[in-house]
Amino acid sequence: MQSREEAFMARVQSGEKVEVMDWMPDEYRNLLIKQIHMHGISEVMGAYPEREWVMKAPTIRRKLALNAKIQDEIGHGQMLLRLAEDLSQPYGRGREDLMDDVLDGRVKFHNVFHLEAPTWADAGVIGFLVDGGAIITQAMLLGSSYAPYGRMLKRIVAEESFHMQHGESVVLALAAGTPAQKAMLQGAIDRWWPAMMFFFGPREMGASSRRMLDYRIRTMTNEELRQKFINRYAPRIQALGVSIPDPALKQDPATGQWSYTDPDWDWFSYVVHHNAGPRSADRLGLRREAHDGLRWAREASLQAARHFAKEADHGISAGYAGL
Amino acid sequence: MEFPRDTPVYEVFAQREALSFPTHVGSVRASSPEMALQMAREAYFRREAAYDVWVVPESAITRAREYPEVLPVAPEEKTYRLPGGYDNAPLWKRFKAEAQTIEQVAEEMAAKKEGRS
Amino acid sequence: MMQPTTQQAAALKTLVIPMADDEWMIGHRGSEWLALAPDLEEDLAMSSISQDEMGHAELLYEVLHGLGEASADEAVYLRGPQGWRHAALTAAARGSWAEWVVRRYCYEVFDGIRRKALQRIPYAPLVAALQKMDREHAYHLTHFQSLVQTLAYGGPASRQYLEEAIREDWPKLPDLFEWGGRDEAWVSWDVAALAPSMMRAAFEQVVRQDFAAWQLTWPGNLPAADRAARHHDNSEFLAALLLEMREVRQVAPTSGW
Repeated sequence: MQSREEAFMARVQSGEKVEVMDWMPDEYRNLLIKQIHMHGISEVMGAYPEREWVMKAPTIRRKLALNAKIQDEIGHGQMLLRLAEDLSQPYGRGREDLMDDVLDGRVKFHNVFHLEAPTWADAGVIGFLVDGGAIITQAMLLGSSYAPYGRMLKRIVAEESFHMQHGESVVLALAAGTPAQKAMLQGAIDRWWPAMMFFFGPREMGASSRRMLDYRIRTMTNEELRQKFINRYAPRIQALGVSIPDPALKQDPATGQWSYTDPDWDWFSYVVHHNAGPRSADRLGLRREAHDGLRWAREASLQAARHFAKEADHGISAGYAGL
Repeated sequence: MEFPRDTPVYEVFAQREALSFPTHVGSVRASSPEMALQMAREAYFRREAAYDVWVVPESAITRAREYPEVLPVAPEEKTYRLPGGYDNAPLWKRFKAEAQTIEQVAEEMAAKKEGRS
Repeated sequence: MMQPTTQQAAALKTLVIPMADDEWMIGHRGSEWLALAPDLEEDLAMSSISQDEMGHAELLYEVLHGLGEASADEAVYLRGPQGWRHAALTAAARGSWAEWVVRRYCYEVFDGIRRKALQRIPYAPLVAALQKMDREHAYHLTHFQSLVQTLAYGGPASRQYLEEAIREDWPKLPDLFEWGGRDEAWVSWDVAALAPSMMRAAFEQVVRQDFAAWQLTWPGNLPAADRAARHHDNSEFLAALLLEMREVRQVAPTSGW
């Protein structure tokens, strides 16, 4: 006789989709929370390296576009955290808890957002390569067995297509610009390439990533994603007249597989697990400023809502502003 | 009364145009239905217009997936209530008249309205 | 009025430059709140509003360009500090959340009054630009009214932060109502609502009503504006702001970016 868990596994492996209120094994729920929580928080933390450049964007159009792009990332964070919150209901954990986790080091975020972004070209290259990498990962996750995640990613990927064009546009303008602009671009590629090799995770996937494959939460391995990324981006970077800081980067003409120099796995892994990157503390400090520093404002909104609910109970017109 | 840590969740439904039905697009947290409408506008309509938007307290929704016996299923045997369950065309042919479908009727009415006929 | 006379064009510029610069500065400063609002939903709202304001500034700079001024991009990235006519409060450094809510609410109330007054000037490109902004403005006002109301009824601490912020911003508001140019600029249009005293009275009336509804202490009528309102010729603050805003652009001022 098949156990409930085995029957669930058989169903997701045959392509069936799961909804939030459906019965699911604890392991499946916990893997989903881990994945979607980290994904959502990474979107939010991704706002910090880029927001440094909104105040300094070089044209009106770039300033508006970068502002809109960061807003989208925060919006994606909001939508993903809502999914993680729904999944966390049996544990009695909501938005406050999931956000507290960032400040208390209980949830990781992507390695790239711990790093320096010292020039405008970094803002462009984040849009070009980090968003490019994220799009590849997210397109893979569209086929996820967890339907609410798949549906939301459809929306997210559609919005990312603007990010992709925006990032490429900034990078193309720099590549076509003055020697100073080109040098700025080269510097940014030199900084971000090794980080992107780490972005997709180790060659040998960890136990939980392998379980996510079993459950069809994800559908491709880290290495498959990295190969897709290199194959798409290496030729484009070289076409811009920018060099890639990896002498070992080479495609095997027979298999199509790329060989590359391994990033410093230990260092990046330490950065992600201990929030120990060069800018981790600053960016967590900003998140703390918003989340802890303005907790009183969120509490105020709860108090105000209670005040108006009471007035409505007593037949007093709440007179909510403007609406 | 226990003071909640989080603002309540509102599910967001959007009606794209007058003749479309509202469809679920996601959810937001907000302190009141009025604020939920403002936040829904920001979270789900940064690039598109809507004919109407509904926000519904999450707690007001009951899902059929929790009660599988009432989850709708397509009738396999009830061919009598499906258009494909009928085979009138050969009979019309015997009576020397043309078979018709509801799509043809709708198309003709649409053409009239636009003054094409 | 199709083609304004030289005199009319000069008068139009005196009236439109302050509005364009206010909108730019408040949007630029608002961008600094990205990812720093109390919650993610509010971050989204604040970002939309900042984008809208800078978009409005761009529309107005284009109107000014049609009157012979610099293009929008040049106005923002190449214009000297002596040419800016924003009210100091719109560009002031980021303070507390309550201060920002108060600053933005006051600005939206004022902006609605100014827009209505300017709409009566029969210069078609200006009328069209102002019309485009109306819908977004209505939403901004509603949003900031909701935020002030929330803080007003958010408990004793929240109300205290709010009242402190009102006292902090109150003396800085009068600059908003000045045009920063010669009086003939607005007198010549025969639109009484353009008079600083009229705009100030209209502002006081709206805010007094809202404050009464929210049971907030009325801080007293606004003080008089400084004679140097909207002039920043020797302002180290503006010089530093422009330097930061143009840090990237100055690497290659005329190149594509």
